[in-house]
Amino acid sequence: VPAGGVSLRRCSTRKGLEGLNRPVIDRIIRVDHAGEYGANRIYAGQMAVLGRSSVGPVIQQMWNQEKDHLKKFNELMVAYRVRPTVLLPFWNVAGFVLGAGSALLGKKGAMACTVAVEESISDHYNSQIRTLMEEDPEKYKELLQVIKQFRDDEREHHDIGLEHDAEAAPAYSVLKTAIQLGCKAAIFLSERI
Amino acid sequence: VRCQLSPPHRALQGSAVLRRVSDEQKEPLASSQQQFDSHPTTHQPEQEPQGPRPSYTGQGGQESEDYESEEQLQHRILTAALEFVPEHGWTAEAIAEGAKTLGLSAAAAGMFHSDGSELILHFVSQCNTKLSELLEQEQKLVQLGEAEKKPTDQFLRDAVQARLRMLIPYIEKWPQALSILLLPHNIPSSLNLLTSMIDDIWHYAGDQSTDFNWYTRRAVLTGIYNTTELVMMQDSSPDFEDTWRFLENRVADAMNMGNTANQVQSTGEAVVQGLMGAAVTVSNAEPSRAVR
Repeated sequence: VPAGGVSLRRCSTRKGLEGLNRPVIDRIIRVDHAGEYGANRIYAGQMAVLGRSSVGPVIQQMWNQEKDHLKKFNELMVAYRVRPTVLLPFWNVAGFVLGAGSALLGKKGAMACTVAVEESISDHYNSQIRTLMEEDPEKYKELLQVIKQFRDDEREHHDIGLEHDAEAAPAYSVLKTAIQLGCKAAIFLSERI
Repeated sequence: VRCQLSPPHRALQGSAVLRRVSDEQKEPLASSQQQFDSHPTTHQPEQEPQGPRPSYTGQGGQESEDYESEEQLQHRILTAALEFVPEHGWTAEAIAEGAKTLGLSAAAAGMFHSDGSELILHFVSQCNTKLSELLEQEQKLVQLGEAEKKPTDQFLRDAVQARLRMLIPYIEKWPQALSILLLPHNIPSSLNLLTSMIDDIWHYAGDQSTDFNWYTRRAVLTGIYNTTELVMMQDSSPDFEDTWRFLENRVADAMNMGNTANQVQSTGEAVVQGLMGAAVTVSNAEPSRAVR
């Protein structure tokens, strides 16, 4: 009877990316890319409804920053040869629907959605920063810098949302909990699929 | 099977004296008595296949100087075995012959599955590595300005052709290999090798998509590669020119598909705009009719 199964080392052809914890980096970049893509669509949905209202410029400015974030992650995705999540078309629609739906509840509704999403995202970025710091702060310096910067931007959006009376939105706590649950699910799926 | 492959093993069934003599004059294994005999003087009546022990003892019971890991040894055996594939197929016989050329016992084939899976996977992995190196070199030449950047369809054609040409020496036995790669226990590995090869080709072709195109492009190229491989199995034209023509047509189809998709999208957008315009016109026409 032949000896037990032999495992052959799969030749890694990803030169130049040696020494990195590929699974961890893959997940981080994939989920962050999906997150920024979703945030873009959420703001697009909000603008579609509230673009001509008084909060239009505020939302537009936050949207512009998210566009920059997405651009950065597109570059990182190509540089680290990470595959995007299959669910992108789904986040495309879901994000827009969430943005438009929350905006239909009024300006405060839109701000409540922003607060919920941005809080989820900054918590998520924080845990990624922790992970990378535990791995090797030197090796992942560039990535850490990017994520820290983006985390600060998202926190700023969160604060802007609060400033614009997010907490006065109809059913604020229910809305916030529901949206944050959705974000958690989206993060879980995008990391893996 | 192992008995047939190792004549010295059979010789051991004879008397001790005969064994000692035949061992001195051992034909294929004369070069190294490592795994077979730990001591020239004592002989085991039954030669156990030496399990996956990484270190060997030389003739004086000394540890071999260049310590080699089990994995490296297995790679060496499988690489040596490839030479015998055209004759024996992707089987344990080929592995045993390969082991013998390295001076090891034919029983070393016992380290591997009897269906030749590892040999095939090793070969595929080796081909993929060669392809990546080839594409990397081409990319360097383009970066140094010593070569022109190829248009995408030509790049894909050349890459797929280069990869498929590596099968030519083994083409007779390749259908057998394909069917073994489809066995359930091999599918994760073979799928992994296939997807990373296709990803490599697109990477060097300059694909920078970060949306769903990432998936459609790879799916399309995988389809092109697999169908061309199957055509190649049936091809009897000189230098497989029918296969390369088939490949050219499929790649052209794929390029057209991209264009068609864009056209469909623009047409769709134009139709939507037309309908919106019509709706606006109708809604403007209504009040004026009511006034009249």
